[in-house]
Parts: sequence; structure tokens; C-alpha cells
Amino acid sequence: MRYAFFPGCVSRGGCPELYPAATMICQRLGIGIQEMPGASCTGAGVLQEKNQPLGDALNARTFAMAEQLGLPILTICSTCQGVMSQANRRLKQSAEYLAEINSHLAEEGLEYRGTTDIKHLLWVLVEDYGLDELTKAITRPLHGVRMAPFYGCYIIRPSDALDFEGHPERQTSLERLIETLGATVVDFSGKTRCCGFPILTTNEKNSMAMVAKHTGDVKDLGADAMVTPCPLCHLNLDGFQPKAAAQAGRKIEMPILHLPQAIGLAMGIRPERLGLKRHIVSVKPLAAKLAGVG
Amino acid sequence: MLEHDVLVIGAGLAGMRAAIAAKAGGADTAIISKVHPVRSHSNAAQGGINAALIDRGDNWEDHAYDTVKGSDFLGDQDAIEVMCQSAGTSLIDMEHMGVTFNRDDAGRLGTRAFGGQRRARTFFVGDFTGQAMLHVMFEQLIKSGVRSYEEWFVTGLIQEDGQVCGVTALEIRTGQVYAIRAKTVIFCTGGLGRVFEPSTNALIVTGDGIALAYNAGARLMDMEMVQYHPTTLAGSGVLISEAARGEGAYLLDKNGDRFMEKYAPNMMELASRDVVSRAEQTEINAGNDVDGCVLLDCRHLGAELIQEKLSQIREIGIDLIGIDMVKQPIPIRPGMHYIMGGIKTDVDGLTNLPGVYAAGECACVSVHGGNRLGANSLLDTIVFGERSGNHAAQAAREIEYVDFDVDGVVDRERERIQDMLDRPNNDDRVASVRLGMGQSMNANLAVYRNQAGMQETLGDLDELRERYSKVPVDNKGRVFNTDLVFALELGFMLDCAQTIAVSALDRQDSRGAQSRTDFPNRDDENWMKHVVVTKGEGGPDISYLPVTVTQWTPEERKY
Amino acid sequence: MEVTLRIRRYDPESNRPESYWEEFPVSLEGNATVLDALIKVREEVDGTLSLRCSCRSSICGSCAVRINGQAGLACKMQAADAVDSDGVIVVEPPGVMPVVKDLVVDFKPFWDKIREVEPYLQPQGEEPEGEYLASNESMLHLSGVTSCIMCGACVSDCTVLEVDPTFLGPAALAKAYRFTADPRDGDEEGVSKERLEKLSEVTGMWDCTRCSECVQVCPKGVAPMDRIMALRDQAMEAGLTDNNGSRHATAFTESVAHSGWLDELQLTVKSVGAGNVPALLGFAPVGLRALARGKMPPIIHKSIENVEGIRKLAEKLEDPEPE
Repeated sequence: MRYAFFPGCVSRGGCPELYPAATMICQRLGIGIQEMPGASCTGAGVLQEKNQPLGDALNARTFAMAEQLGLPILTICSTCQGVMSQANRRLKQSAEYLAEINSHLAEEGLEYRGTTDIKHLLWVLVEDYGLDELTKAITRPLHGVRMAPFYGCYIIRPSDALDFEGHPERQTSLERLIETLGATVVDFSGKTRCCGFPILTTNEKNSMAMVAKHTGDVKDLGADAMVTPCPLCHLNLDGFQPKAAAQAGRKIEMPILHLPQAIGLAMGIRPERLGLKRHIVSVKPLAAKLAGVG
Repeated sequence: MLEHDVLVIGAGLAGMRAAIAAKAGGADTAIISKVHPVRSHSNAAQGGINAALIDRGDNWEDHAYDTVKGSDFLGDQDAIEVMCQSAGTSLIDMEHMGVTFNRDDAGRLGTRAFGGQRRARTFFVGDFTGQAMLHVMFEQLIKSGVRSYEEWFVTGLIQEDGQVCGVTALEIRTGQVYAIRAKTVIFCTGGLGRVFEPSTNALIVTGDGIALAYNAGARLMDMEMVQYHPTTLAGSGVLISEAARGEGAYLLDKNGDRFMEKYAPNMMELASRDVVSRAEQTEINAGNDVDGCVLLDCRHLGAELIQEKLSQIREIGIDLIGIDMVKQPIPIRPGMHYIMGGIKTDVDGLTNLPGVYAAGECACVSVHGGNRLGANSLLDTIVFGERSGNHAAQAAREIEYVDFDVDGVVDRERERIQDMLDRPNNDDRVASVRLGMGQSMNANLAVYRNQAGMQETLGDLDELRERYSKVPVDNKGRVFNTDLVFALELGFMLDCAQTIAVSALDRQDSRGAQSRTDFPNRDDENWMKHVVVTKGEGGPDISYLPVTVTQWTPEERKY
Repeated sequence: MEVTLRIRRYDPESNRPESYWEEFPVSLEGNATVLDALIKVREEVDGTLSLRCSCRSSICGSCAVRINGQAGLACKMQAADAVDSDGVIVVEPPGVMPVVKDLVVDFKPFWDKIREVEPYLQPQGEEPEGEYLASNESMLHLSGVTSCIMCGACVSDCTVLEVDPTFLGPAALAKAYRFTADPRDGDEEGVSKERLEKLSEVTGMWDCTRCSECVQVCPKGVAPMDRIMALRDQAMEAGLTDNNGSRHATAFTESVAHSGWLDELQLTVKSVGAGNVPALLGFAPVGLRALARGKMPPIIHKSIENVEGIRKLAEKLEDPEPE
């Protein structure tokens, strides 16, 4: 089981705790990952507003690199997943368009033949690795922990770009993973909504309202933590939670975990090795609860 | 007091066009509709709009002749001339307003072929032309500043000494009854499709305006002329556009044969609708059917053309019966679609009642006669909508508001409605009365008719009217009481049903949409005339009006 | 087919002021839609159930409701595809708009926003005698937007409208795009700069989060969000770049084009505008908190390997040579 690793910008930038946590659990689970040092940012949907062909060319370039390695891409970011899936669909839909984009890649000696598959770690675990197999690696199940899922838009919609029809299990993959970790799922309607990060600089008030709504809702439902496969969501839900709580005029203090961190905890990896101290919202109450359980 | 120079009832294409014209003519204009304007049934017109453009080498006389022939020579030729002469200007107006008509390679408006016409003169937006036009007309309505009463249901016409002076209406949101004073009223309430079950028509198409006008003394004309569309979907009976055949689709019997060869060797699938529907029904009756249907085969048109020009009907096939027309023929059958008859008007929309106008499907000018050509209905709505709006605005200048006892009128209407709500439960249901009516109409006033069947339906209707007078209404509330609205609509529908049945029974020949097995031939000597029905003391009274012939003498129809 | 409709009901006239759930078992034919099921309840069981519906064929836009939590047309969804494993279909009124009764909501806010974008063609030049000449391609493109039936499904599920009722929203913005993209609207080049200026203001195109909810639920394939993204492109093309959204998109593109990946610090500074001290100070507490936890992105932003290839790509595709 081997993948071309696409960590994305934020796991090495705004959320530097994510990258080591992800590589650590991959290593322990025996999921082989190979870096693509020349791979670029996906454009995150922002670059695409200005120049979609450039975005598609950048992604085709990454896909071509993975194709050369003969490996599917593994990403640890919902946004990267969605943006790459959408680009891949456009490239695969039209041979003409693919040829045009390839003409731009030729200078670097690259060509994308349209065969690369892109999978988030979440999907890899559910579809390729298997949750039964994962269960075997769970040494410290998160019993008693009430955990709310938060997907991130791009790994949910538009569902046809993400091939939900071919993989209906993707719709509930995060809940099933939380259950596998031994935690109790705190279901709430906001789990597939937007965290507000993309409008942070254009309409901070609305962005904060979204953070406060989602973190506050799961607080009201008695969640101990929220887990997300999207580092951009994490930036907003964790990093901006104090500001959002102040705007909403309430106390929230909801710990937000990256997906690999939640898995790592259930695998018995110590919180500090997973970078939990780097979070803005303290994870201490959760850690204490886990220690109590253990 | 709510009052307006011109009050348009119904906000489909005809209604909005009329309101915009009246407002432009300087009248204080309002439009009132039981649904929001963009929910109107003009949406459902799929295939396109006819116009003969001179710069395409076409001419209006050819369009008029095709229309006259399509009407089986029952259409009034002076009215048809007006419509076809105005068509080009009306079409270009719509383009200037913003309709996104398909184009040809030169960037000009493109055309497709349509039934009963010798050349392609149907302009279109994919297969959702009505929706595209309706939404643009709504944009223009917003621009015009016309006052719009949305989700207000007109329950009655107020008259004093034979002069219309306003309407009573139920504000559906609140359940309040109001009187609105008006100098002139324009009915643009559409057809009456739900009188039949099944029908291609939307659930809101209940003949309200036709019944209101009839009960107020207006003449209804050509009511026996009910169009059965050749391609309605198995099951729900929703419309599958004639555009499919316009683009080249085949009709097949159970053996895969194109049976239209036997009935219309030249025009084949593109003969006029009455001819194609009759052919299908004949094949179905002869046992050449597939579960009561024949097949519409689009496969040879190719996925690309279907996606560009027929995407909506493809979507309907997939959504409603799970069949993709790109891969499989779809089962279709003739189904009730349109009423050629309606409130008799002149070419300016004026009825026999002073100050009362009508336009669109509820009106009978008569431009469709015994059978309407596909893509002439959108044209009808905008040409005669505009003309009636212009005329009503002008007429309103000469008319003073008529005084009436507003409180008395409102109180009486409120009591009438309360009486309906207060009826005791008797285990009967509004829906069951409607279904009884619809099934009886569809059994005996469909493609083929005969005396015994129609008399049976008239008997059924008497019984149903009796049941209607006692049928209870579940919902006793005021706020958005759709149950009450259905009950009121059913009264209108029963009136419409009766006028159709008596007119059809009276006409003792076969012409256009009326095919009587007991009178199988067209009888120009005795029946080259319009059947007119008015409300009399003891029920409908029949009279006749001559057909206006200008330049085309009746001849046998061949396609 | 036996199904149970679980319907969220509300009657403002009853003595229970809150909405409540009611279940109705119904027998349906195989191809029945959710709308058929609702009509069956209304006609045969309980006439007090209020809902809007009309055409039964996805063209009038009346019957948008939430089915199993997601907005859509009741007449477009087959009951067999909507039932869960217990044979239950959950039907609620659409979101965002206030409920009037049962499944009927007040569309006034919806129409007010449509009116706000001046939804009618505004050509600046002289009207031609015949039709405007336009390519079929341009009309087909517009028809992909004008096929919107104003059902409100996108508005119901919009994540921004959920927290901010002043946002123009997906339907109105798509409607606006239908004019800005129309070669007949605006100046002789077909550029509708005044419209784009208004739409660039707060509550307009830059407030969309790109969450794709509207793309997902639209029953007519209008993809409102894609139209909003196209509006942003049009606005930047028209030189309307003095706003955070435009600066963000530009800075993002520059960062990726220069180093191959995202320079998050520079991005924030450039997005709110380097001279915008109050906004930058607003972000400062968050930044300090992050710094204290070792969470800040690297101050020195290194380029990825082979960045030359990316720079060349960007050069070529950002300023394509005129053909």
C-alpha cells in the first residue's frame, strides 16, 4: 500500500502540527508515502476564481508526477481533495482540454495521461486500508469521548466530482472512522457545512458567526471535541474560535482535532507527540478525560 | 380601497404582457394571481414560438394558411391574420427584452421544424422556451412597476347593471377577503386542463377565469375543441415536447414500425396534433400498443443534440419513469393538453361584457379553431396579451369607477366561504369529486367521442355537482389554506366541464380535435360555425356564430 | 411501495406555537415521486397539510422542500430513492426563509434580493431593428443560467444566508450573472461595469464561501456558485480590484506563481491591504496566540523544488499572448 504524498500548504504552514502527525500514523499503520517535492499548491479554489486553466495546469502537473511514480495521490486536506478532484474531472472529461493543458506541461517534460486517482487519508483508511484493519491498531480506544465530525465542504460537495455514486460510503466516512476509534459520534447538521475560512478576509463577521455556530452547536450537544480532515477548517475552528466566541458572546472552548491526531490518540501516541499543544483551544480537558479512561 | 384602472387576473405570459402594455398606456395597472408570476403554467410550453420573419424568406400569409388549415378551417381568419402579421414584431420584442433564443451560425435567431407547418419557423430556447419567456416577462414586470398581488385568489366578479366594477379575492397568506375596484378587468387565467385526468397541465390550471366569466354572462366559444397532445408521458401524463419530433424523433408501434406513414405520408410525425393523436389512439385501440402507449424514439438524434436541445424532456423521462431517451424509446400516449375554446373575444381581447377582456388560453379569439398548431400558443399569449392591455388602458380613460356596496360584497363572499368551511363531514372528499370528473371527461370527451358517452358524462357531472355542494373542507384555518382553494377551484372546474360536454354533444360533426364516431365526417354545410355557450336560467344555452373567412376557402385536410 | 412520510408541520393558528413532526403511512406506485406522496396525504388523509406545488415536472419551482435534510424539488425525487432503510422519508420546509404554514415559506426575502440586482436587460447602445446578433455559444451559456426556476433550493441551503440574511445569495447572484454575461447588456463590449461595481460591495459576490451547497442542491444544474466565481473574474477583469476578495485572489495567485505554494503571512497582509492597519491589528491577537503556540507559518517562505516550471506556467497562463 503506497501513495504519492500530497500534504498541501497548510499542514506545513498555518497548521505545522498536522504534517508530522499524519506521517507518523501512516508510518505506524504501514501506509507507504512518497513525497513529491516538486508538487505545487492546488490553488484552493481561490486561484481558480482568477484563472481556472492555470489551476488545472498546476494540478495536472502534480497528477503527472504521481503518474510517473505509478502511485495514487494521498492528501490530508479536504480542500486539496476537492480542488484536485474537480480539476481531475475536467481533465478527464475532455480529451481536447487535457491535450491543451498538456501542451503547457511539455516544457517541463511532463504529460498527464488521465490515470491518477486522488484520495484523502480518510478515504484511504475506509476504502483501501479498511476499518477492520485499523481496529487492530487501536490500542487506546477513545471510549467515553463524545466526538463531533466536521468534514470540510470540499470533501463532500459537489458529490459528483467526488464520485459519491461509486463510493456511497464516503458520505458517512468520518462518522464511521470516529466509531472505529471507539468514540461516540455527536451528530449535528453542521457537520457538512462551511467553517467560514474562505471569507475570513472578506467578511470576518460572517466567518466568525459560522465558527461560533458549529463549535457552539456541538458544545450544546455535549461534545468533548470536534475532528476534521481539513486543516483550513482547523485554522478557523481552532485558531479563530476565541474571537468567534467573543463575537457570539459565549464561552465555547471546543477542542478541534486534526483527523490524524484523533487516530494517533487512539493508537496510544502521546498528545504532545501529536502536536496538540500547538492548538489555540486547549485540548487539556480531553487529554484528562482520556487519561482517566486509560 | 384597492382600486385600479386595469386589473389583470392571472400572471402568466398573457397576463404580464397585458399588464405591461396597460401600464405603458398610462393606466393605473395591477396584476393579481393565485401563484407567484414565475410559477405560472406558461412555464410548461417547451418547444417554441412561431413567427414568419420576412428577412428569412418567410411570410405571414404562409404562417396564417398553416394555422387556418391546422384549425380545420374553424379559426376566424381575420384574427389569424392579425396574429401572424404581428408575430415578427412580438418575437423581436421578446428578444430585445432578453430572451436567450438559440441562434444560427450567423448569430441570428435559429429555428426548428414544428407540426403542421411547411417550413421551420419555430424559434426556441432549448426545450424550455415558455420558462425562458415567462421569466423575462417577469423581469419586465418588475421594471414596469405594475402593482402585483401575488398569491391572491379571485373568487368572483363584481358587476353593477351589467358593468364590471371589480373582483372579490382571497389573500391566501392571511385568508382575508377583499374587494378590488377596477374599471376594466382582463382575464388571463389560462386553460382548464385539470378538468381532465390525466392532463399535461399543472395542478393550478383549473379554468377559474373561464368559469368566472361564464357565470358573469360572458360567451364561451369552441369549448368542445380540447387538444389531446400526441406525446404525453406514460403514468403521470406530463408533457414531452413536440420539439422531439421537430428535431426528427419517430413514433413507433409495438412492432417498431413508423405507423404515421398510414395517416400522414408527407408530414409523417409532424402532421398536426389532432391528426397524430388520432393515429396513435387508432393504433392503441387496434392492439398495436405497448401497455396502452406507443413509443417515441429519439435515439438516432444522438446524445449531443438531445443534450443541447431536448435536455428538459430527457430529464423528465429519467426522473419520472427512469428511462433515458438517449438510450431507449419512451412510452407516450395522447393526453389532454389545451383548450382551443374559451371566453369569446374580438381581436382586442374585448368580450361581450363591457370592460371585460380576455387573452391567452382562457380566451377564444378564435385563432386556433378546431386544433392549435404547436408553438402558436406562446405567440397567442404575447400578441393578444399586448393588444388587450393596450385596449383596456385606452378604454379605462373613458370609464368612471362604479360605486358598489363594498362591505356588503365582501361580507357576502366571506359568508359563502365560511359556509363551505362549516360543512359537516360526510366522508366525501374534494379530491374524489375532482377525480370522478376528470376520469369521466377523459373517458368520454377524449380523442374519440360519441353521443352515449358524452351523455353519460353529463349525467356524471350532475351527480358530481350535487356532491360538490356538500363536500367538506378539512382545513378550517385562515393561513395558507390550500384545501379551501382546491374546493373553490373545483367549483370552477365543474362549470367548465359542463360547458365542454354540452358543446361537444351539440356539434354533430368531426372537425379538428373533435372526432365523433357517430358523426365521423366534417360537415361544412351544417357545422362550419362556432358553437357558443352562455349561462342560462336552467343551465348552459347553446347558440352559434359564423366563422370568418377572408382568403382561404375550406378544403379537405391532408398532411 | 409502503413508505412513511415524516413531515415537519407548523400551524400559526393552532395553540402550539412550535413546529412539530407528524408521520403519515402511504402506499405508492413504483414510480411515485415525493410530491405524489405529499399530494396523496393531502388529498386522501389530511387536507390541512399546506404545500405549494403545480407543474409536477421540475419547471415551475413551487415544490422545493428539504428532503432528508437537503433542499430539492419534491416532484423531481422518486420516493423509492428517498426512503431510508426503515421506509421513512423526512420532509421539511426549505431553510433560511420564514415558515408560513407547514411546508410553505415566505419567499419575500427571496424576491427582494432578485429585485435588488435590477433583473432586467439594460443595453446601453441603440436597439437594433431586428434581433441582436449573438453567437449560439453565448446564448447556450446564458441558457444554462436562465434555466433557473427560482425554486429557492440554493437559498434554503446556503451556508452564508444561514448566518447573514443580508447576503444577496446564490439565486440573485446567478441572476445578476445572467446579465453581466449577456453580450446585449452593458456597454458596446457587453461589459456591465455598473452592475459589477454594485455586486462587489459587501453582501455581494465576495461574501460567498465557495461551499458548493448551491451547486449540490440546484435541481436544474445552474451551479450558482460557479456563476459567482465567474462574476469575481469579470469584476477583476473590469478593474474592480479595490477590495479584500480581489486582493486575496490576486495575492494567492502571485504566491503560488512565485514559490509554488502558499505564503500565508503575506496572503493575509495583502488581502486586507498592507495599509489597512485596523484590519491587520484585528488579526494580530489571533496571530500572537498562534505565535505563542509555535503555530505560525514560517516567516521565511521557501520555494518548492523546480519552481521554475511553475513560474513559466504562470507566466504563460496569466498573461496569454494574444492569438
